Amino acid sequence: MIATGHGEPLAAWFSVSSAGLAPVALPVLGLLVVLLLDALAPARWRAGRALRRAQDGVSLLALLGAGAAVVGLWRSPDLVAGGAVQAVCSWSAGSGQADPQCSFVVSELTLTLQALIVGAAVVSLLLALDGTGARDRVAHHVLFLAAVTGALALAGARDLVSLMVALELASLPAVGLVGLRRDAPGAQGALTFLYTAIVSLGLLALGAGMLLLATGSLYLRDISLALADAALPGPVRAVAALGVLLAVAGVGYKVSLAPFHLWTPDTYAGAPLPVAAFLSVVSKAAGLAAIVVLLGVGLWPVAAVWAPVVGALAVVTMTVGNVVALRQHVAVRLLAWSTVAQAGWVVLPLASLGDADSVAASAGRVGPVLAEPRGAVAASVGYLVAYVAAGLAAFAVVVVLARHVPAAEEHTLESYRGLARREPVAAAVLGFALLCLAGLPPGVMGLVGKLIALRPLVDGGAWVVAVAAALNVALGVAYYLRWTALLVATPRPVVGGPAVSDGAAGVPTWRVRPAEGLAIGAGALACVLLSVAPQLIAGLLPNGLL
Amino acid sequence: MTGGVDLVGPWALAVLVALPLAGALVLLGRGLPARTATRVGVTISGLTLLLALAAAASAAPFAAYPGSRPGLELDLDWIPALGVHLHLGLDGISVPLVLLTALLTLLVCLHLVRVQPDAGRVGGLVACVLAVEGGALGTFLALDLVVFFVAFETVLVPMWFVIARWGDSGQRASTLAGSSRPGGEQARREAANRFVLFTVTGSALMLLGLLLVAMRSGTTDLVLLAQRGGQDLALGVQTVAACLLVAGLAVKAPMFPLHTWLPPAHTIAPTAGSVLLAGVLLKLGTYGLVRVVVPVVPQGLREIAPVLGAFGVAGVLWAGLACFVERDLKRLIALSSVAHMGFVLVGIASMTPEGLQGALFANVAHGLITGLLFLVVGAVKDRHHTAELALLDRNLRDRLPRLGWLLAFGALAGLGLPGLAGFWGELLAIAGAWRSDSAMGAISRPVAVLAAVGTAVAAAYLLRVLRRLWHGPGGAPAAPASLGGPGRFIGDATRHEVVVMMPLVAATVALGVLPAILLEVTGPAVRALLAGAP
Repeated sequence: MIATGHGEPLAAWFSVSSAGLAPVALPVLGLLVVLLLDALAPARWRAGRALRRAQDGVSLLALLGAGAAVVGLWRSPDLVAGGAVQAVCSWSAGSGQADPQCSFVVSELTLTLQALIVGAAVVSLLLALDGTGARDRVAHHVLFLAAVTGALALAGARDLVSLMVALELASLPAVGLVGLRRDAPGAQGALTFLYTAIVSLGLLALGAGMLLLATGSLYLRDISLALADAALPGPVRAVAALGVLLAVAGVGYKVSLAPFHLWTPDTYAGAPLPVAAFLSVVSKAAGLAAIVVLLGVGLWPVAAVWAPVVGALAVVTMTVGNVVALRQHVAVRLLAWSTVAQAGWVVLPLASLGDADSVAASAGRVGPVLAEPRGAVAASVGYLVAYVAAGLAAFAVVVVLARHVPAAEEHTLESYRGLARREPVAAAVLGFALLCLAGLPPGVMGLVGKLIALRPLVDGGAWVVAVAAALNVALGVAYYLRWTALLVATPRPVVGGPAVSDGAAGVPTWRVRPAEGLAIGAGALACVLLSVAPQLIAGLLPNGLL
Repeated sequence: MTGGVDLVGPWALAVLVALPLAGALVLLGRGLPARTATRVGVTISGLTLLLALAAAASAAPFAAYPGSRPGLELDLDWIPALGVHLHLGLDGISVPLVLLTALLTLLVCLHLVRVQPDAGRVGGLVACVLAVEGGALGTFLALDLVVFFVAFETVLVPMWFVIARWGDSGQRASTLAGSSRPGGEQARREAANRFVLFTVTGSALMLLGLLLVAMRSGTTDLVLLAQRGGQDLALGVQTVAACLLVAGLAVKAPMFPLHTWLPPAHTIAPTAGSVLLAGVLLKLGTYGLVRVVVPVVPQGLREIAPVLGAFGVAGVLWAGLACFVERDLKRLIALSSVAHMGFVLVGIASMTPEGLQGALFANVAHGLITGLLFLVVGAVKDRHHTAELALLDRNLRDRLPRLGWLLAFGALAGLGLPGLAGFWGELLAIAGAWRSDSAMGAISRPVAVLAAVGTAVAAAYLLRVLRRLWHGPGGAPAAPASLGGPGRFIGDATRHEVVVMMPLVAATVALGVLPAILLEVTGPAVRALLAGAP
């Protein structure tokens, strides 16, 4: 109990659930151990690989531990009962509220996003271990774990300050990761990323300030209650709306939403390949977590303001991404533009929330206070899960291939020509992942993803957005198929080079390191599993949002 | 449950879909030599046909839902969150097309044993053919909107590969005078891309329609939806859904202004691909119209039936006239497909029992006849290394009697000669259109008349082909020396080719002489489909 200076005792309780914070805390712990190992390790460890192995092991263990904590929390009584663990909360007796104000909540939404982020981070780390980016283990692992921590924290953040801090924690270390190639394109990529991040932070801070001004609170729950109040005066509502738009702009860059997507191709091309993979899956999942938490949990009562904007941004994003991707001849740039397009798909379902009636209808369940936009958010997250699985599988193959072709050609699509003959397994994984991204069977996962992304729009009657998105499917198919076709194309005869002998064809010549093999296997397994059982992406968040 | 012979249980439906797909996977996984691969293909497609026959026997008699359930039915949970079931069934509407698909795939695989495309590994081609079969069978058997859609899309990627990889590089793209499209890989790729992009765009729109139906009626089960007959859907919703669904399916069918993907795809595809495209893939579109649009959103279809009928008959006439000036034989057959499918669309748009019966009949007949024609033209083209009418040897009747007779037979069947399969479907479709006041309204009679004119056009352009190729003046080969020149030896159809084509000839005659064997299968199903419509 804290006494305030006004003489009147203002009671406040503050509660922290350490179990609820475990998924976020464990990567930090791992980060510290990596630093300690580096500081304290005896010299003879440094000579060999022992130190590097230990640092790899600690980082992986920290992530796996976070994963185990997520699984453990999922089984906690609160969540089994359909509720949430209130991890960091305060009660202020003076305000007369029975419910606590929470900065960090472990709900089904939190855990779903955290599970996805941890899984994607583990695979990204496995990919990174043998790459150029991780030559400096300490720098790489520390930055990596810090960024993952930020991403994990975003999933549970329920006030604007936590959200901003977590978003920056997820972004700024990633800037460092991008620069780890230590060459000019790397520096350029990192700087582009950094500028975008800083400008976006400014926008987000401005938006948060306006929301605070309009609603008097930084807690998302209070903001949603205040905004849902029909008695809110018009001018106040206008300030809130402006704050909402600025906040959307501030988090949009993280998922590469147009027009905040321009950093993506340069940064992906400049970053070490595994870091590009990290950016395209973990970082994007973090961005979506921020958007979902902000819009789906906090600002959905004013969905009428932002839903049309999100819809327009989604359509513009996917169109721009697809159209530019059509002309790309560099694998990483094609993937970068395709992730821009996919970002449009990821936020697309949120555009369905513009119609207040449909929100109430699609919520299915009226919570203690208000109905929640569960359907649209579940669709967004479901699409994200499918995208992350396919993106990881594709990037895993790209990373391994880049090591096996001459340096000058490492990124060109032409180096994929005839891959099916040289590396049937890798080509099959890449082809399958690309078809998943395109949403064509046998990539059933991608098709179901598109289906669940369009479903809320059709239900909410957002026809313009829905039709525009549907037409974009064909654009995407064009370039994914172009790449897939190269995999099985006949190799071009090399003029003056060694003759291609059929006897050697089909014999694997890659030396895939165990960690990379695991990463490819995990990506492929996820794609196949989700394609066979799409329920896993269609049936997320059965108990609503908190 | 049924009076049929219970040869196989419902599991057979899942096996029907899974067997070809598994075969495709095996062939892709193991780079088998051509000889083994084609034998595997023949074995698997043969087993599939046997299983399809057994399943058809078990599903008989074909009294379709909603009066009763489909004869054979398999229903498993798949995506509970979306209420999607892996619901497969075999009834009077699907049986003919399932059998047609299985038969054509077997013949294509048999054909590949001896006649193989120039480039690319045959194993991959067989795998793609089997994958197309699996997807098509899945589409025909699906009784759930989402499963239907997934299966509908499954055929795209394998067919894309068939065209892009095993297509005819030597195809002179300039089939029209003055056209200067590049040949070789570029042309193949372009044709394949156009096919996929048209279809994907269409099916994305169709997906919106399916979702609208699913969201507004709360189920994706086609049996349930057909039983309700659209009664729980408002007219506006039905119209929007019908527009979206028809737009998507019409691309595949193809309907007149959306057909431009078809001529290059059919022309450049290898013979195996052309047969499958014409015999199987086009049917997916019209089958979807009959299975999904007619029973589920009947009032919506009624609203747009005049447009559908008008476009259908426009396709009949336009494609027929285009065939007059077409110089490439293979392209001509492809264009004639547009005309034939126009009749099917007219039949569906009529929303009368006769019209739908005619549409289903014409579907099957077109699959048999055009499949046969593509096999014959493929054989002619393989021998002459061109399919340009001006360059082909004339007087096939005397020079290559077997091929000549097969071509004549196919052309006569194609122009709707009474006594052959092509006749009944088009006659019924025209009859349906004539009596379709309730759906097509004022334009029903004009559509019927124009469609009848279309049959005359078909007769004219096919007879033009026969006059050129079958009779021809004298025996002098018209080919210039660059194409082998006069005096080269050109063999007649081999016994193998004849064996491959004979089942199609036999089926064409059988359906022409005894149309009742098909009409009795589809009849109850059609009455049941229209029962929901007011």
